Amino acid sequence: MDDFNVVGTSPSRIDGLDKITGAAKYVDDLDFGPGLLYAEIVESPYAHALIKEIDTSEAEKLPGVVKTVTAKDFPHTFGLYMKDRYIFARDRVRFVGEQVAAVIARDVGTAKRAAKLVKVTYEPLTAVLDLSEALKPDAALVHPDLENYEHCPWFFPRPKTNIAHWRKTRRGDVEKGFAEADVILEDTYTVPRYAHCAIEPHVIAGYYDAAGRLTLWASSQSPYTQRNIIAEALSPMGLSHKDIRVITPYVGGGFGGKAGVSMEIFGAVLAMAVKGHPLKIRWSRAQEFYNTSQRQGVIAHVKMGVKKDGTITALEHTLHWDAGAYAEYGANVVNAAGLSATGPYRIPNVKIDSVCVYTNLSPTGAYRGFGYSEFHFGLESHVTRIAKQIGMDPVEFRRKNAIAEGDTLAYGAKMNPGNMQEAINRCAKAIHWGRKETSEHPDRVIGKDISLFWKAPAMPPNASSAAFVKFNEDGSLNVMVSGMEIGQGYMTVMAQIASEVLTVPVDQIRVETPDTDRNAYEWQTVGSHVTWSCGNAVKNAALDARGKIITTVHRALGFPEESIYLENGQAKCRTQPDFALPLCDFVINGIQTKDGTFRGGPIIGSGIFMPEFTSATGDPETSQGGHPNVHYTVGAAGIILEVDRKTGKMEVLRTVLAVDVGQAINPVLVDGQIVGGLLQGLATVMYEDIRYDANGKLLNPNFTDYKIPTALDVPLETIPIILETPQPDGPFGARGVGEHTMIPAAPMIANAVEDALGIRIKTMPVIAEKIALANLGVDYDAVKGDTMGFCYAKKPEDYPFGIGD
Amino acid sequence: MTIAHRFDYERPDTLSGVLDALARCGGRARVLAGGTDLIGWIREDLIAPDVLIDLKALDELKVLHCADGVLQIGAGVTFNQLLESDAVRSDFPLVFEMAGRVASNGVRNRATMAGNICSAVPCNDSGPVLLVYEATLHVAGPTGTRDLSALEWFLGPRKTALQPDEVLTGITLKKPEGRHGGCWLKLGRYKGEDLAQASTAILMLENGETRIAFGSVAPVPLRAPAMEALLKGRTPDAALIAQAQAMLSDLITPITDVRASLEYRLHMVGVMLERGLPAAAERMNGNGPDYGTTLI
Repeated sequence: MDDFNVVGTSPSRIDGLDKITGAAKYVDDLDFGPGLLYAEIVESPYAHALIKEIDTSEAEKLPGVVKTVTAKDFPHTFGLYMKDRYIFARDRVRFVGEQVAAVIARDVGTAKRAAKLVKVTYEPLTAVLDLSEALKPDAALVHPDLENYEHCPWFFPRPKTNIAHWRKTRRGDVEKGFAEADVILEDTYTVPRYAHCAIEPHVIAGYYDAAGRLTLWASSQSPYTQRNIIAEALSPMGLSHKDIRVITPYVGGGFGGKAGVSMEIFGAVLAMAVKGHPLKIRWSRAQEFYNTSQRQGVIAHVKMGVKKDGTITALEHTLHWDAGAYAEYGANVVNAAGLSATGPYRIPNVKIDSVCVYTNLSPTGAYRGFGYSEFHFGLESHVTRIAKQIGMDPVEFRRKNAIAEGDTLAYGAKMNPGNMQEAINRCAKAIHWGRKETSEHPDRVIGKDISLFWKAPAMPPNASSAAFVKFNEDGSLNVMVSGMEIGQGYMTVMAQIASEVLTVPVDQIRVETPDTDRNAYEWQTVGSHVTWSCGNAVKNAALDARGKIITTVHRALGFPEESIYLENGQAKCRTQPDFALPLCDFVINGIQTKDGTFRGGPIIGSGIFMPEFTSATGDPETSQGGHPNVHYTVGAAGIILEVDRKTGKMEVLRTVLAVDVGQAINPVLVDGQIVGGLLQGLATVMYEDIRYDANGKLLNPNFTDYKIPTALDVPLETIPIILETPQPDGPFGARGVGEHTMIPAAPMIANAVEDALGIRIKTMPVIAEKIALANLGVDYDAVKGDTMGFCYAKKPEDYPFGIGD
Repeated sequence: MTIAHRFDYERPDTLSGVLDALARCGGRARVLAGGTDLIGWIREDLIAPDVLIDLKALDELKVLHCADGVLQIGAGVTFNQLLESDAVRSDFPLVFEMAGRVASNGVRNRATMAGNICSAVPCNDSGPVLLVYEATLHVAGPTGTRDLSALEWFLGPRKTALQPDEVLTGITLKKPEGRHGGCWLKLGRYKGEDLAQASTAILMLENGETRIAFGSVAPVPLRAPAMEALLKGRTPDAALIAQAQAMLSDLITPITDVRASLEYRLHMVGVMLERGLPAAAERMNGNGPDYGTTLI
């Protein structure tokens, strides 16, 4: 391994002091002056209905109301991968809470009161709330115009059905694989929808000035992609990309929910409706739940064949996803899972069908883990079960089948480096795998599990990053990039990468939040890819700047370029031991030569990175032939779980997660990702329990009844383990780690509960109530009442997966 | 967080001012103490009062005082004040145990016990504890003051014996005679702040009496006289607890909603008895788990 000076150390995060002192500004902190206008949304009470008439006249009479806006003003659609989302519902509403109109007023209270005065006449339609209903040949269509929507070339929507996309992956011959198996286990697992629950709700301010310039201040993970989506949607109105500027101050949590565009479209169009006036719109906590993008629910059928020696011979994995009303971003979740639902295993015969289904529930999209958390629940539950069925230790079974560098992936490409064996061994050791433990409490039992995970960034094959670096008079440095600091420590890591190349200390480097007018391009801060992708761009920009420094020294002083290097913020020369020229002496004003003239000038560097080995050209019927993913990050996690058999309450006594990050640029920040990600994953399985009523209305869009953990609910002990098998194309060997750490949490709980109590729970969440009732022989899903957690009304084992091909 | 509903706000500095305002507004006013329920309800359009009458200018309602075994809790006293009171902790340990599990620290800084029982949602935490202490509630109205027993207070979900022109001014608890021990058990979905899925208050007295009250398992918090008769003067061993558990389905009427199923609530109240009765007995005898220890 190379010796690094800054990479691999853990300087304090550069945004830390701002955040803990309150100096950090978020969108809602910005002052737009007394002329600021506010907007309120008129929402559909129906899951599916035709809009017959919208009467805004009473609302417009209310003093303080400036304007009302409907689809008549903005009839366009928008979307990231498929333009299926309507700015305002046009003709039809597709979920409860969908925007039908907006009221703009001089204060929020007036806007709210006026919104209640907008009269909308609906003709209710049959709502498609159940996946099995949505897939019937005569189902009501959520999008009768599906064939007219623009979409990326690797989506395969099926017009006149509710199927937005179907990803098929085929490898080998599954029938032959099952014939070779000694044991075949098949079962069905369900995962409900989830909400991101970022502490800062979505908020955007817009200003369409007299010159026709649209500036947006958004709480966002995706300034450039938002600009692109908004520019594409509004191009019929004469706006071009150069006319739109997106500024993104600090953001209070994203988790995928602030990627792409959801409510941000209103900041753009409503500002355009009131040219010359700034306008702000902020989501309530309830809207945050039902009108941004939830995580998709999924019902998954896993059929696995194994030999007695533990070799996996075949896997058939069928996933039907509840995408809700709009799939513009979420269909790519389905795609990502459809390519990678083998999990981190070497399997010769594979058949994956991942089907994206429209329903009349809230739209869905990106959520940390992007489909992988969802399919790992069933798959890792299944792996433990089938290992036990053949009498093999589940950890040994995983060691035997775990993916390794060079293995062939289900779609034909080769696996990148990553040390899964070490991850398994370290986790097994940390939880004393194989040693049965007993609780001091008479009603409590202790179970253990090791689950594996993998994940690749899911993005277009040509998603790219760019960076500018520029020196200042005192030798300090600005790094201008457009990834978002969403809590992961991105700014600090970018500073460390620049520091490593240019030898400027991290505390002399400023990384600011993005402004699309000033900062270099970044696709989006999603998919755990910015350290890798933007990190490469920053490294390249720093190398560019270093090259200019060397050229300046060479031109001014005549030393050979190859002998010049940087050390401790100084230019040095291998052949001139006494020469040490501080950067601050020349990075702006150049170096004076003997004749009194100067050479050089302000040092700026630019760098880009785009993976040039990826493609999305795989065969639609098999996915063979393309190279859709840049790399997978792999790892393992373990748990010691205490379960109260009477109450069902669980206590995580110890959890451990080992992840191969290639190179930890900042180990403390990686530890943070492990601790936080595991907790978020544990929340989805232990506490969060979304409920819709039979009309498609969300019943718990609040923290009273949708529980995310408090400080009291964290594991008693979390052990982060960082493994470093370098990624050849990563900056200093780094690969992504962000989403991965939440992926193994759900199956780990289900497996540990079975280890402790002998009860197998196949439906998420695995909450205390479900465990306690199961221990009494009561099926929770049968008694939880007339509410839907998962979008299938009957028992999962009765779900009709056969929908042809 | 903006409230769309428009209302007037009054902040009288005397009790008669409060009563005058209530008389003037008829049923269109609501009394504001901590506001932790009320403001949320207005924001969510569950209620739409024309006037809010704030009690917080009345210093006499902020009194928390204990003398000769009598605890006076003014209507303006917050849960955190109760939690921090030595007298509450030593002489009314169920109030201490209960207050520590009400919502979160920030809410407890504002929320009052009086407001909690005036809101009178079925899952209110104060109700079962006031029932087992048989607290006295002090009400002021246009024709003077009257005292009610906590046993007479709860009439239905969000419905109490308080008339629209009356205000609850305070609560009085008497320290039980002799040794006593008890247990407050609250089932939540996690360790963080939660509304009770079910709750049980148990108070054992030296004279052999065991008082039991339940919350979140009926339209109102309720005492369980039949179960109390069964337990009177007896040691809660496994057989007796099983008999008590067997009575539950006749005594309580839990429902299924998004917070829990009927089946789980019923089961868990049984677990509360199983763990709470022995703990209460031990505490009465000066041992057992410390108050505030979670038993479920």
